[in-house]
Amino acid sequence: MDRALASALQERFSPTLLTPVRQRFDETEIRVSIADAVPTLRALHDEPNFAFEMLIDLCGVDTGEEMQIVYHLSSSTTGDWLRVIVPGVDRSAPRVNSLVSLWPGAEWMEREAYDMFGIIFEGNRDLRRIYMPDDYLSHPLRKDFYLADDASRSPAAGVRNMERAGTPADATRATALRKSSGA
Amino acid sequence: MAWSRLTPGGRALAVLLPILSIGGAALTALLIVAGPFIGATIGANLPIVRFLAASVITFLVTVPVAFLLIYMEMKIIALMNLRIGPDRIGPAGAVMSVVHGLKVLMKEDFTPPSVDVPVFTLAPVVVYLASFMTVMVIPFAPDLTSAGLEFGLLYFFAIGGLGVVGLMMAGWSSFNKYSLLGGIRAAAQAISYEIPLTLSVVGIIILTGTLSLPKIVEAQSGSLLDWFIFRQPLAAIIFFIAITAEANRTPFDNTEADQEIVAGFATEYSGMRFGFFFFAEYVNVFIVSALFSALFLGGSNAPINLPFNPEINVNLGSLGVILPILAGLAPVAGTLIFAAPIFMASSKIKGWQALLGGFLIFGALSTAVIGFWAWAMLPPIADLLFFLLKTFTLIFIFVWMRGTLPRARIDQLMGFAWKWLLPASLLNLFATAAAVLLTS
Amino acid sequence: MTTQQTRPSLDDPRIAIPSTSEWYEPAPTAQTERQAEFLNLRDGEMFINMGPQHPSTHGVLRIVVKVNGEQVVDLDPVLGYLHRGVEKLCENADYHQAICYTDPLEYVASLFCEAAPVAAFEKLMDVEVPRRAQYIRVLTMELNRIASHTLFQGWMALDLGGITPILWSFIERDEIVDMLAALTGQKLLYNYYRIGGVNGDLNHEFMSRLGNWMSRAAAQIDSNTGLINENELFVRRTRGLGTLDQATALRMGVTGPNLRATGVPFDLRRDHPYLVYPELEFNVPTRDEGDSLARYMVRIDEIRESIRIIDQVLHEMPDGPVMAKLPRLIRPRPGRAFGAVEGPRGAYGVYAISDGTDQPFRMRIHDPSFVHLQLVGPLTRGNLIADTMAVMASLDPVMGGVDK
Repeated sequence: MDRALASALQERFSPTLLTPVRQRFDETEIRVSIADAVPTLRALHDEPNFAFEMLIDLCGVDTGEEMQIVYHLSSSTTGDWLRVIVPGVDRSAPRVNSLVSLWPGAEWMEREAYDMFGIIFEGNRDLRRIYMPDDYLSHPLRKDFYLADDASRSPAAGVRNMERAGTPADATRATALRKSSGA
Repeated sequence: MAWSRLTPGGRALAVLLPILSIGGAALTALLIVAGPFIGATIGANLPIVRFLAASVITFLVTVPVAFLLIYMEMKIIALMNLRIGPDRIGPAGAVMSVVHGLKVLMKEDFTPPSVDVPVFTLAPVVVYLASFMTVMVIPFAPDLTSAGLEFGLLYFFAIGGLGVVGLMMAGWSSFNKYSLLGGIRAAAQAISYEIPLTLSVVGIIILTGTLSLPKIVEAQSGSLLDWFIFRQPLAAIIFFIAITAEANRTPFDNTEADQEIVAGFATEYSGMRFGFFFFAEYVNVFIVSALFSALFLGGSNAPINLPFNPEINVNLGSLGVILPILAGLAPVAGTLIFAAPIFMASSKIKGWQALLGGFLIFGALSTAVIGFWAWAMLPPIADLLFFLLKTFTLIFIFVWMRGTLPRARIDQLMGFAWKWLLPASLLNLFATAAAVLLTS
Repeated sequence: MTTQQTRPSLDDPRIAIPSTSEWYEPAPTAQTERQAEFLNLRDGEMFINMGPQHPSTHGVLRIVVKVNGEQVVDLDPVLGYLHRGVEKLCENADYHQAICYTDPLEYVASLFCEAAPVAAFEKLMDVEVPRRAQYIRVLTMELNRIASHTLFQGWMALDLGGITPILWSFIERDEIVDMLAALTGQKLLYNYYRIGGVNGDLNHEFMSRLGNWMSRAAAQIDSNTGLINENELFVRRTRGLGTLDQATALRMGVTGPNLRATGVPFDLRRDHPYLVYPELEFNVPTRDEGDSLARYMVRIDEIRESIRIIDQVLHEMPDGPVMAKLPRLIRPRPGRAFGAVEGPRGAYGVYAISDGTDQPFRMRIHDPSFVHLQLVGPLTRGNLIADTMAVMASLDPVMGGVDK
């Protein structure tokens, strides 16, 4: 865990940070708004005192109330790790800017986030489903996608059509929408 | 005799027996009635009858050869891969390839819809025909060729090129892109390698002045150094590489590169039609090996001439009743004689192991003695054995290469043919011609 | 009276077989700009569909290749044939169950798939793993890395048309896999790591097998390597093929041996250390060429480094417990953690979010093969069909991890 990185981040990006820089375990975490996401990431990539050249991971998170985009960055020169969280993406029509111009390798990860959460990345030239078939309608990793045949929660539920977004009428309380308290 | 209560063997007998008896009777009657006429016809058209008989025998020869090659490939590559390979059917799995052949015969012969049916059906026939027609000029031994043509070599190259037409037909008619690529690869490869293949042999033709394969073999009789592999080493290397490509063997097996184009031209084939392609491929390996040994390894000539002429005259008939007793006792006695020292050599060796060792030593020795006797006394058989020995050594090298080498890429393959093999074969041709001109 | 339903047969004359012109599938409609560009065929070009059943697709991958003769113009990998929704399953399982769900992702080296979620969960629980357990983890992971790399070696040769090397390399892999089976009870999906330690201490059979193998490992691997590396055909087919430069590799998010083959000495074991790796001595092998041969050679060098690490671990392993004291039911405090390990294919990471219950709220699995598979298109464009296989083999993706 690098204290100097935290202070440098705080100093450089203080107007755009939504919360102060957090450090827990060996990870550093910052939160920026949707509009500031791409400029912040570009600065992190380009500026030599950060030099986060590698996008290790890009993923979507559905907290039940909002969507988040989470980027994990790493620097091959300093060995620092950074997590950039973009919270507050509208759950009904999630839409953010694409990172493909900065990291071409993000293309498939954005496709995956689109497939799993329905998040639309503007600027991605190839935003189509990657795992699910093209005629699939729902987005499986959203919290309102009810896993019908999950025996651990409803032993008698049986196998039902998975292609059904929203909570079915006969869902028990345990299977109903689960919202995050901590995320 | 209820049909349903018969065993399968009984049913077969019940069907075959009437057919055989009636057929036999009819054949006998035909021979009695029209015998003289048939005899006269055969006598009048002896060359045609001889040709037909030779063709049938050649056709029948290709089948066991292909089986043997398939078994060799399975077993040798298995040993190189540190596997066991076939070991269930027959001694050491030797009948495995025959069973494979039967399996292929019994499989459904499926014609996919939307293929070009006549061409699709004809393609395996053309491929197989091309390979077995070339067997006819191979000089197994002096006077042991199906057709001792004066232009045998030319015939070989002409008919050998026909196989590509079959592959191209298969690739084009299958309505499959993998097949198409395989067919086109086969055509490109065969055309490219046919040129150095042919040009490398021209040196031999200049030296011998003939296109007849038996005469080329005859020109190499004498000592080991008369073989063309020592008189035309560059040509031998070029020819070997070119036949590897002609027979579609690793590292030049691009036409059926399963990692790239699944099974190439044979992708859509099943059952015996696929079997024909498979057979033709192995017959091709045999043919090109036989041709290499005829052209460069002295064919049926022995590597050395015997320095003396042994007169082994044993009149077996004079032994009378002792002969069968001797024939029965000799193996037993020989085995025991050789097993005894093995058994005594170490206390760790068990009795059956000693007996096995003794039997193997006795077998090897008696084979050597009989072989030597055959070499001295039965020239045609010895010649045939030498020819087959050389051919199968080459086949072993092909199998070895398949077990060891990865595949060359198609552009490297073509580049090699046009940039290296063609100039080298031309160089060889000019050098030979110059040498012949200067020395004559 | 009901009519007898007979099985339809293609030989049945009543069934109309579509004519050749109808036999083509209707072309898929383009959904995106990139797909429209891909589906647009110029003169002389055609599509070839490789997979999902094809002899060399490393699992169940489908690649639609646009070719001009033998030359690859463009290609479009189609994923999802092995998609099991592991991330969703993990959200509905408790923390221990989630580990076994991640196990079969990269089935060639599944210990790494366990190590990453375990690392993330341990961060969430804030638990200190006993030293002996850390050493055991390093030991087993390095063994598994060797098993994976030797298999890669054989696969690479197999995709180039050689049949023998794969069977030779399976000797090493079988030996290691048997060893791990003696330790964990499983040959492929070990399920050995637990939150806070490992499931059971080293046993006698494992140690005796390991000792036997270590005495001859280096020589055996050298002989396997000699069969392939000194082969002119192999070298000629891989040298200069699919060259990846440093800047592109970093921008594409490439990690692991594929990145190190371009000259970037990035290795999580050294740059972002976990377990006891900082105390061990090892090199990070790199190559500068960035081509398929370099990617192959880096992996061979890594096998040697792994043997070195195992040697050190065996000498320095302390005694002690192999499990930390933890409640049976894991309920971490709410929070987020990213656990990453350096797998044989690259940085394998798990991002876990806890909401205080016994089930992870969100579990994101990052597989390096997924990123590397994107490179097949850019690296093979303009090469031949045969090179597609060589490039893909050198990138070494495992479809179980790609499709999750």
